[in-house]
Amino acid sequence: MIGLADLRPSQSGPALGLYLHIPFCRQRCHYCSFNTGPYRPAAMERFLTALCREIDLVGDADWAGRASIGTVFFGGGTPSLLEADEMERLLERLRKRFSLAPATEVTVECNPESLTREKAEGYRLAGVNRLSLGVQSLDAGLLVKLGRLHSPEEARHAFETARHAGFDNLSVDLMYGLPGLDLARWEETVREILAWRPEHLSAYALTLDAGSRWARSGVAGLPDEDTVTAEYWALARRAAAAGYEHYEISNYARPGFRSRHNQVYWRGEEYVGLGPGASGFLGDIRYGNVEPVERYCALLEAGTRPLGTYETLTTAQRQAERGILGLRLSDGVPPDWLAGVGPLVEAWKSLGLLEVAGGRCRLTEAGFWLSDSLFVELLPPAP
Amino acid sequence: MTLSRIRNFSIVAHIDHGKSTLADRLLALTGAMDPKKAVDQVLDSMDLERERGITIKQHTVRLPYLRQDGQEYTLNLIDTPGHVDFSYEVSRSLAACEGALLIVDAAQGVEAQTLANFYLALEANLTIIPIINKIDLPQADVEGTRRQIAEILGLNPEDAIPISAKFGTGVPEVLEAIVHRIPPPPGDPAAPLKALVFDSFYDPYQGVVVYVRIFDGRARAGMPALLMSNGRVYEVQQVGVFTPEMKPVEELAAGQVGYLTAGIKRVADAKVGETITDAHRPTAASFPGYRDAKPMVFAGLYPVEDTAYQSLRDALDKLRLNDSALTFEPETSLALGFGFRSGFLGLLHMEIVQERLEREFGLTLIVTSPSVRYRVVTTGGETLEIDNPSKLPPAGAIAHLEEPYVRAAVFAPTEFMNPIYRLAQDKRGEHRALEYLGKRVHITFDFPLAEIIVDFYDRLKSISKGYASLDYDFLEFRPSELVKLDILLNGDPVDALSVIVHGDKAYDKGRALAEKLRAVIPRQLFEVAIQAAIGSRVIARETVKAIRKNVTAKCYGGDITRKRKLLEKQKEGKKRMKQVGKVEVPQEAFLSVLKS
Repeated sequence: MIGLADLRPSQSGPALGLYLHIPFCRQRCHYCSFNTGPYRPAAMERFLTALCREIDLVGDADWAGRASIGTVFFGGGTPSLLEADEMERLLERLRKRFSLAPATEVTVECNPESLTREKAEGYRLAGVNRLSLGVQSLDAGLLVKLGRLHSPEEARHAFETARHAGFDNLSVDLMYGLPGLDLARWEETVREILAWRPEHLSAYALTLDAGSRWARSGVAGLPDEDTVTAEYWALARRAAAAGYEHYEISNYARPGFRSRHNQVYWRGEEYVGLGPGASGFLGDIRYGNVEPVERYCALLEAGTRPLGTYETLTTAQRQAERGILGLRLSDGVPPDWLAGVGPLVEAWKSLGLLEVAGGRCRLTEAGFWLSDSLFVELLPPAP
Repeated sequence: MTLSRIRNFSIVAHIDHGKSTLADRLLALTGAMDPKKAVDQVLDSMDLERERGITIKQHTVRLPYLRQDGQEYTLNLIDTPGHVDFSYEVSRSLAACEGALLIVDAAQGVEAQTLANFYLALEANLTIIPIINKIDLPQADVEGTRRQIAEILGLNPEDAIPISAKFGTGVPEVLEAIVHRIPPPPGDPAAPLKALVFDSFYDPYQGVVVYVRIFDGRARAGMPALLMSNGRVYEVQQVGVFTPEMKPVEELAAGQVGYLTAGIKRVADAKVGETITDAHRPTAASFPGYRDAKPMVFAGLYPVEDTAYQSLRDALDKLRLNDSALTFEPETSLALGFGFRSGFLGLLHMEIVQERLEREFGLTLIVTSPSVRYRVVTTGGETLEIDNPSKLPPAGAIAHLEEPYVRAAVFAPTEFMNPIYRLAQDKRGEHRALEYLGKRVHITFDFPLAEIIVDFYDRLKSISKGYASLDYDFLEFRPSELVKLDILLNGDPVDALSVIVHGDKAYDKGRALAEKLRAVIPRQLFEVAIQAAIGSRVIARETVKAIRKNVTAKCYGGDITRKRKLLEKQKEGKKRMKQVGKVEVPQEAFLSVLKS
């Protein structure tokens, strides 16, 4: 059993990331397996009070005041259900307890239908400096099929709204490998999104994650592997031509606009998780808060930190993870991290899936697409 | 104990006819075992035996039997293995007895191994007591079974004792019949020691514990024991009986059954059938009929992890301490690296060894397709025996090839004759004889051993709704039109996948094999071409397409643990893969060779 005292960042690490989970949506998307439930204003109010209490409890730790926070990320759920004043309340609380610099990257995931001009401006005033817009698709029929609440028009409008509100760091989320999406339609979507010139683009091939509606019920019309693969390459080619860097398996950015927060994960750096089901990684310990919102609130109302799960990573696991996560990035990893799988590295090189240059070992775009086959080999042997 | 108060007997039966259940009953009834401590079927003590419901190693037990009239008898029950792979062991156990209980299932009737065991018992000159078991079953046909015993076995139907071993009905009558009908053992306690080894097992503290039946003389601790087949002499350290626990006694005298230890290191040094005598005063002649248990089926055993080679050797050494029929010698495969070519009595024996190596020693193994031993006559006039297809000399150096044949008896209700003949034909069987026994037929075929070691028995069972049974014995080597079928992965021959097949079957076999391999070889990062070839002629080709996509699209903070676990699951699935050149080949690919 770990004690709360064990949950502390290592002395020498870089700035911490802070993740805050907002566990409400107006409607659950059919592919979604995240920890979220139906939005009710009263539930939101109770939750925000609990979240502030959690911030206080973590902030009570002796290290908290000294820790520098590099990034803050509001994920969900639908964080853009938060009103501007609520956002301000949360960020105020964070500033009181932790040291946030003006340069700290503060991102909020937004659903297009809930982002008004007023809200966007309010967020900016509260200190938010980056929005990630859940566009997913620009096909009206597909958006309905996915269970999204916005239309393509609302997505376009939300992007413009964010720009007009003064955001100069915008990310767009897209999905491909969707049922009924063909290559031509996908290329059309990519072309239009790139024309918006977002600073950052995340594009995920659909997976039927356990816990999602589609994983339970199945879904008709899924494209075959060849089609999904063609879609991956179509995006990779168009994004490169438009000046975007393919810096992570599913992420693209214009120079200087990588997601700093998400790189915390891939670089194996430390982060604090706040909110129901949120995970943190401090020292050797990855922990997770309890998932049910009701239980989360009740624990905090009783003055208890809502920890649910944790694991203490062994050295072998840490080494495996830093390789697996590090290779997700185009930066790659130092070659000696892969010394244990030398023949495999050679085989991957000969297939054009991996390259060694400039003192780094990195996957190529072809290698990204097959990366799990390599990652499996980086895991320590089962005990 | 005078000889007249001793009875030595075995129980023989077709598989599942209730041998172990009756043995348990006899133990309970004579008080050899506390019923409270009774584990079902104590005599089948190896876990594997219990799981498979068969007896592999034999056990023996001394039953003290107090008759109604107050006379006390010693009944020595000598258990026998119950599978067609182990018939030599059965014959040695029977040689240690004067009588046998022949169990026939009242619902199944006489089956092939009933008959085979009956003949073995007759050969050993035993008094046979027919027992009709499972009379409690609703479908039991006691009178019909009696008729079969008369018609098929030629025994007096009135001698058969109907029982339910499960409920104990009729078991007291069995005990009485043992005393009444089976003669006491002959023998002269004053003559030089003459003891027959009918089983043994290895004990880490005492060395090999040898099961013996004393025919003449006496065995006691301190005497020098001469093993007549190999001339070795050991000092006897302990003699005793099984109650069923081992219990030391002063001496074992003519007529008695028990064990002795003498610091023998491996069971192979005191094999079943061996004659033990007093080195100072040897007996004139050893028992006839001694033979080495000869492996019939051979396969390569390779560790999936190259580093486990030494562990595999140690594990095989340990198993051999207790299993004189298991043979192995180092072998190298280009595809699989370092391993062992191992010989087994049959496929069941092979599966048991594999399972024990994996379960008891924690090894993960690749077992290559089982092969029989072929005889090669070279153009130079030399005769070679090869048990590994990849060792076959080039075609130009071979004058002709011979393969082992067995004589097999299939016993089944007449209605299944047609499918049985069709199966036999498919397996290159040559019909020898047909005998009607009531509503059943006893058909004799000659088969190439290679045709029946893998799925013959299963198919026989399935086409006969489980009624047909099989028994076979090695017959001879016969010249045969055999060819070597090679498998190439991306152009490279994989020695461990080569098989020797009959020329008429090579094309079908090659195609089936290539298809099967396509189904079991997972997609890799590159395309894998599978070819079946005879010499340089490719007769079948299949392709495993390259994997297109294997990626975790999303991996963020909270998900890292879950995603790692998904990868761990993938890794678990790859545990049984062997890297052959650049291609990862799963364990089952190697066994699929004969099953295709």
